[in-house]
Amino acid sequence: MFAIEVRDLCYKYSSQERSILDKVNLAVKKGEVVAIVGLSGSGKSTLCYCMNGLIPHVYKGELQGDVFIFENMVKNMKIADIATRVGTVFQDPDTQLFSPTVEDEVAFGPENLCLDREEIGHRITDALEQVGMTKHRLASPNHLSGGQKQLIAIASVLSLKPDVLIFDEIMSQIDQIGKKRIKEVVKNLKKSGKTIVMIEHNLNNLDAADRIMAIQEGKLANFTGELSGSGAVI
Amino acid sequence: MTAAKTLDPRTKLIMVLCLSSLAVFIQDIYVLGGVLLASFVISVILKGDLFPAFKQVKRLLLLIVIIAVIQSLFAPAGKTIITIGTFPLLTTGGLIRGAEFILRMAVIVVSATIVATSSSRETVQGLVQWKIPYEIAFMVSVGIRFLPMLTEEIRNVMLAIQLRGVELDKIPFRKKLKIYSYILTPIVVGTVIRAQKLATAMETRAFRAYPRRTSYMTLKMALPDYAIISFSILVSASVVVVYYM
Repeated sequence: MFAIEVRDLCYKYSSQERSILDKVNLAVKKGEVVAIVGLSGSGKSTLCYCMNGLIPHVYKGELQGDVFIFENMVKNMKIADIATRVGTVFQDPDTQLFSPTVEDEVAFGPENLCLDREEIGHRITDALEQVGMTKHRLASPNHLSGGQKQLIAIASVLSLKPDVLIFDEIMSQIDQIGKKRIKEVVKNLKKSGKTIVMIEHNLNNLDAADRIMAIQEGKLANFTGELSGSGAVI
Repeated sequence: MTAAKTLDPRTKLIMVLCLSSLAVFIQDIYVLGGVLLASFVISVILKGDLFPAFKQVKRLLLLIVIIAVIQSLFAPAGKTIITIGTFPLLTTGGLIRGAEFILRMAVIVVSATIVATSSSRETVQGLVQWKIPYEIAFMVSVGIRFLPMLTEEIRNVMLAIQLRGVELDKIPFRKKLKIYSYILTPIVVGTVIRAQKLATAMETRAFRAYPRRTSYMTLKMALPDYAIISFSILVSASVVVVYYM
């Protein structure tokens, strides 16, 4: 059984003329860390949205093919069920954190799942321990560095206890110290058996990856060491 | 523990509601002065951040003159201080109305510092426990959270324009308006993109997955809260009754 399976996926945004994803196939085993690299506009984030259910549940467009999370078809799953199986962390920490304290931020997801107070408390403690931010529990996210904010964004997803994590260019706005800490957290999450899909454009951030795929003009293939699009090479 | 920490945010909201209601209903400069003094004292006790409030009120001071002139022109009352021909340009009645307006504004601004002594999460929780839908309470909290970011964005766009050699202070008003219209587009687009990203992050964390949600934070009113609420309502009602009698 695959943690994530994408079969012949095509997607076209209603505002665009051509498909951004063109017959994408991908199978990720449980506990595997797969990196997807690609240039801007190649469809990396769209693929992310298909895997975490934002497409088709939130963003409407022309979708063909299927995405499965542990053999459950994403389009037939409820948002709450997807959130407990797939956690997504995005690029910009500032648009993911909206609570006055770290504790409130990490509690947001479990509160939405209607968990009881005691369970939420345990989850906050566990999630903050996993990212090494326990001592910042009562701090305001506004007073943290970019790297620390991103760790809190990871913790706020981990509190939902997802089996699969999708990291959409989470290190692109972070300084070197922050990147180092995030990489350590990713490695520890891998050790704990989480399935991870890392969307990246910087190959230096892929230390934990078991394999690397490249997406180019909507097509996904094994990474051969170079991406040529407008002459750019990663 | 300080009073700001021990008082329930709902108690603060009721106090603010009483103060701002008085500011709206009362049209007497002395009573309004008293209401402002009360707001000020409460804010100091709760360790409210009054300095930014002063700066905001200071910006409104010019409005005293404008309102005083408008009131004097359209509803002249009291002694005439300045006249143009037969028209009274400034009257004592107009000046009093202008001062009342500023006092009202000051009460509202100082009241906001009282609410701000609780975190936005506590205030949202207070509203939720008053059975106000979470979405509405949360929207208010997010608005407060992102307001400084919006201000910063406006400042950055203004700086970017000035760095291209436009001296905003020295150009005529008409041209300035045109430049502001150019600034508006990137700010609106930036705000919409930020709102979309925020909504996406919230959706992936199961926001509105169920019609209801639980809360890690719970608020419980204590005896001082009930005492302050009762006192605030009683005093406000008495002031209104005595004033209108």
